[in-house]
Amino acid sequence: MARILYIEDIQDNITLVEKIVTSRGHEFLSARNAESGLELALTSKPDLILLDLGLPDADGQTLSVWLRGNPTLMSTPIIVLTAWPEEVVRQTVEAYGLNGYLCKPFSLAALVNMIDSVLRSAA
Amino acid sequence: MTIEIIPADRFSLHELTELYNQTRVDYLIPMPMNADRLGEYVHDFDVDLHHSAVARSADGQVLGLSMLGIRGEVAWITRLGVLPTARRTGAGSALIDCMLETAATLGIQEIHLEVIKNNEPAYRLFLKKGFVETDTYLVMRHAPRPMLTPPQGEATWLGSERALEALKAYPKHLTWINAVESMRNSANTEGLHINLTDGSSGWLVYRNTKYTLRSTLSHLIMHTEQGDSEKVGRQLLSHLHAHYAHHDTYAENIPADDPHLPAFAALGYFTNFSRIEMRKTAPTGADSSSADAGNGP
Repeated sequence: MARILYIEDIQDNITLVEKIVTSRGHEFLSARNAESGLELALTSKPDLILLDLGLPDADGQTLSVWLRGNPTLMSTPIIVLTAWPEEVVRQTVEAYGLNGYLCKPFSLAALVNMIDSVLRSAA
Repeated sequence: MTIEIIPADRFSLHELTELYNQTRVDYLIPMPMNADRLGEYVHDFDVDLHHSAVARSADGQVLGLSMLGIRGEVAWITRLGVLPTARRTGAGSALIDCMLETAATLGIQEIHLEVIKNNEPAYRLFLKKGFVETDTYLVMRHAPRPMLTPPQGEATWLGSERALEALKAYPKHLTWINAVESMRNSANTEGLHINLTDGSSGWLVYRNTKYTLRSTLSHLIMHTEQGDSEKVGRQLLSHLHAHYAHHDTYAENIPADDPHLPAFAALGYFTNFSRIEMRKTAPTGADSSSADAGNGP
């Protein structure tokens, strides 16, 4: 079982992903903006972070830099879940050194596979 | 549909933020805000909420909003958006008509706006309302990464006042968000001037925005005073990123023909999206030929 933190501003998306994550036996945490997401990541030390790029205070790219800039979180895998255009997301994931992405809308199976794959790689 | 237009200052910043975020939920590049960020936006970009507008249906449902920045005889339409459920009802058209009528009343001589490239419905609506395309701008990102070579030349870091003095000498058009007034309104403007050994020189002005926990760089404006733009640009960016090695950077509205673009690319910047700037001069009021225009105020 892993502890998974989802940072996303839209509650409906949080609810949907929470169902998927907890049904796989993982512990689920969430935050709805960048600053509370960073604080929660620092205190909870998740095994995996799911990150939306469009956040209301600082965006996901900036937050990923903050997360990776902290010694306790610098190796925590980050998967981007976003509605941004795929080519931009691909470049973002590469430039920011993130671990994967899924562009909305994505299938539940794709999310499960991505989580399993990234957690296996990080183990 | 009967559409009522209401001054935006009758709504709280929280209400306007909620409405704005709902209008952008399916946007090409979703960029939600919180009330603090919208408050900064209103302040920094001289948005006049009394002359900004919210569209509402006859039964009181909010449909969309549009904001108007005003600086002397120039205005800027921004944050224009309509809820997904209220598209194709004339709400967007009514909001633009309201902005044009307000601008005419205030004696505004020119109105600017920006639209994300490939947002065809909005682009076509602006054309229909008499706006013409003027320039294309890039919005770019830069993630922190190790510097392979140390920066060259003599760098002088500029405080806010000196950075603004440099910016005033910028020889080209600056879009609203990077204009001298916007950078002056921000409390976070800084700059950097360099002299290279071959006599080249230039400057870079930017914002260093402090959040509660960390900082980020944005709103970069670069100018080569003497010498090759790519060479000067590389060294300006090298000094910036060597100094702020752990900062994320967001460069908005870099002209698509900016001679410094090769320097941005060399330092690892990549384009997130493009914006098209459009302008309309000496408006005389709403375009009555618009087929889907709603009821103005």
